[in-house]
Amino acid sequence: MGKFFEWLDRNFRIKKPHRRFLYRSIPEGVNYFFCLGGIAFALFILLFISGMMLAIYYVPSENEAFASILRIDNEVRFGWFIRSFHKWSANLFIVAIVLHTIRVFVYKAYRHPRELNWIAGSLILILAFASGFTGYLLPWDQKAYWATEVGTTMARTVPLLGPYLCYFLRGGQDVTGATLIRFYVIHVLYIPLFMCLLLWAHFHLVKHQGVKGGL
Amino acid sequence: MNRQKDFYPDYLIEILLVIFLIVELIVTLALLYPPAIGRQIDFSTPFSPRPEWYFLWLYQLIRYFPGSRIVIGTTVIPLTAVLVLILIPFIDKGKLGRLKVVIVGVLLLLSIVILTSIAVLIP
Repeated sequence: MGKFFEWLDRNFRIKKPHRRFLYRSIPEGVNYFFCLGGIAFALFILLFISGMMLAIYYVPSENEAFASILRIDNEVRFGWFIRSFHKWSANLFIVAIVLHTIRVFVYKAYRHPRELNWIAGSLILILAFASGFTGYLLPWDQKAYWATEVGTTMARTVPLLGPYLCYFLRGGQDVTGATLIRFYVIHVLYIPLFMCLLLWAHFHLVKHQGVKGGL
Repeated sequence: MNRQKDFYPDYLIEILLVIFLIVELIVTLALLYPPAIGRQIDFSTPFSPRPEWYFLWLYQLIRYFPGSRIVIGTTVIPLTAVLVLILIPFIDKGKLGRLKVVIVGVLLLLSIVILTSIAVLIP
């Protein structure tokens, strides 16, 4: 085993940076509230894994989406549990990010030189909301459909850009199968991709600037 | 205890423990309260559904701006709120910076909490 890791390290040279990351000291005044960011990241990973499982059975099509949800809940072994797990993780993800934001605010950790990391965090928060909004349509039931209908109608009231924004979100004049595919791709591809990039930047900055200690 | 803490193993073990408890919490909630299966889409009977709880503040806000003033509820206020959130490090400058930021932050959080509570209590 040791030989294998040595061989990997000779190729990737990951030992030194990881050692520096793992053995860095934590400043004084750090308490359990500082876990909230880590909790949010753990929830993101859980969402990613349960989402990957759901994507195997979910069919993002106008005619089959609702039936595929029924199949996940009734026929797929533990399908109902994975769907429930994904839903609950998503709710707690929002809670964890909001609480983490409040923690950073209270401990003044947004101050110079960490301005950019605060902005990255804000964008992650916005992406999480966008993920919730797009994910809500995917069951393709009565509630999902009309919630998206109302939500995208709101986009139309934006001055100047409104009508274009609404058309762009719906992929047409009305909420149809085109909207479903759009929201599906945004939910499973675009948002996770940008989320990973932003999280990388977020953690990179934490690594370089260190954790801001207690008050 | 004055010893300096390291990320590994002191902090890592603590955070892993907390994450373990969170996973247990999700599993418990997921087993007890699975999401209900909705009804099939009926295009002929539109109804106004309630959004997810984290969008309720926006849902409640729009109710206060009927007609052409809706743009205040859908664009002006949410956009301002997001901009304020992003610009917090830059508002906190100078002597009274922290005071300004605390006022803005508390106002933002309080209004979201109050709007959400109204939406929950008065459907």
